[in-house]
Amino acid sequence: MSNALFAGDPARDSRFVVKERWIECDNLPGDHPLHKLQFFHRQMNEEVDSLEASAQTLVDFPDSAWELRLALARQCADEARHAVAYRAQVERRGGRVGQFPVMNFQYRIISARTDVISRLVIQNRSFEAGALDAIAYGVEEAHRSGDHELAEFYEAQLADEIAHVRFANQWIRKALKDDPRTLLRMGVSLGAAAEAFRQVMGTEGTEGADYPAAVQARLDAGFTEEEVRQTIELASKARDTEKATPPRSK
Amino acid sequence: MALTVKQRGQHIATFRFVQVRLMEILAAWVPSTAEMEAKLLFGPHIWDAAQGADALGKRGHELRMRLQHSLAPAAEYIAYLDEAAAVTGAAKRIAVLYDVMLPGLMARYRRYLQRTDTLMDAPSVRVIEGILLANERMIREAAKLRAELPSLRFGAEAELQRLAAREESVVELVLETDDAPQAA
Repeated sequence: MSNALFAGDPARDSRFVVKERWIECDNLPGDHPLHKLQFFHRQMNEEVDSLEASAQTLVDFPDSAWELRLALARQCADEARHAVAYRAQVERRGGRVGQFPVMNFQYRIISARTDVISRLVIQNRSFEAGALDAIAYGVEEAHRSGDHELAEFYEAQLADEIAHVRFANQWIRKALKDDPRTLLRMGVSLGAAAEAFRQVMGTEGTEGADYPAAVQARLDAGFTEEEVRQTIELASKARDTEKATPPRSK
Repeated sequence: MALTVKQRGQHIATFRFVQVRLMEILAAWVPSTAEMEAKLLFGPHIWDAAQGADALGKRGHELRMRLQHSLAPAAEYIAYLDEAAAVTGAAKRIAVLYDVMLPGLMARYRRYLQRTDTLMDAPSVRVIEGILLANERMIREAAKLRAELPSLRFGAEAELQRLAAREESVVELVLETDDAPQAA
């Protein structure tokens, strides 16, 4: 993997086995008895990654506006709570910390960017905005399966993530207004992040991983109706492309 | 003699500098500390430290300082903060922050409460009392974690005592100056 696209790994204790690429992880199929447990374990580590990325941004950009730093500090607290909650989900199902390999690609991709707006674009407006769709889907799925407690947890997480995406959208829009060249920087950073993500996930890691756009959550998070419409269109095109591609032998 | 408005503003702005520095120290420790439980202890406390800084930054403005501005403390205190920030290892970091830094800072806040006019400076008193409560909770949470995970207990008491003595050796935190406020 290209070093220019990735920051170094955050520290992990000896319970964790850290992998660089999705294909190197245990990717249990949906009907495997440990599939759900593995999912919660992965989410736990991703929340830790998100905490670490926000913390690193606080450290790396001490001259940012105080209100932005305050929002990042709040995000640190939220992501830590989410990690604790996912750990509880793991342990409730008889699992343990370190049971499955983890990846720190989110932290490594986000922290490789050298300006604060690019970090917000990638962490909050891309990764976390995508999570809005996944969590909103998770709420419905949990209700369908009768796990209303899990649905409530997801609802609470969704509210937090909406706030994270919203403050990022506000600061990104302000930066664009103050200096239109920000758009170019954002484009370069998004391109780099997309390439890094492709290197981590390959085609295998993203197959069937798209969720319907959570329209109201995205609007609440400060996306415009036009941006939400574009998201829906892009997701639809991606699904059509996937359907048109012959399945690979496994 | 009670503190003047200007002196109160300087104290509040100096405390804000320290709160911001605490936030930054905790933030730097999150990715660089291996133990997950320590990261998850520090994470919410970044927000606690930031809220304290924010409240002080607003109160400082009421005391005729610029909004959300900080004044650097005495050079010896900055050196002490830098030494604490450079500590490595989860157990030592936890001990330094929750057994030395926060208690030392809380003592300074309490001394301020003794010195100021609690009627005319009541808004500062409220802000500081809030920070003291938050710090007490942070210390309790660290104690609970160490009770659950003995591997996060730091054994070298003498090292902590030396650092605490360094903190106490800075008698006056606040530099009374006409210099313009500086951002932390």
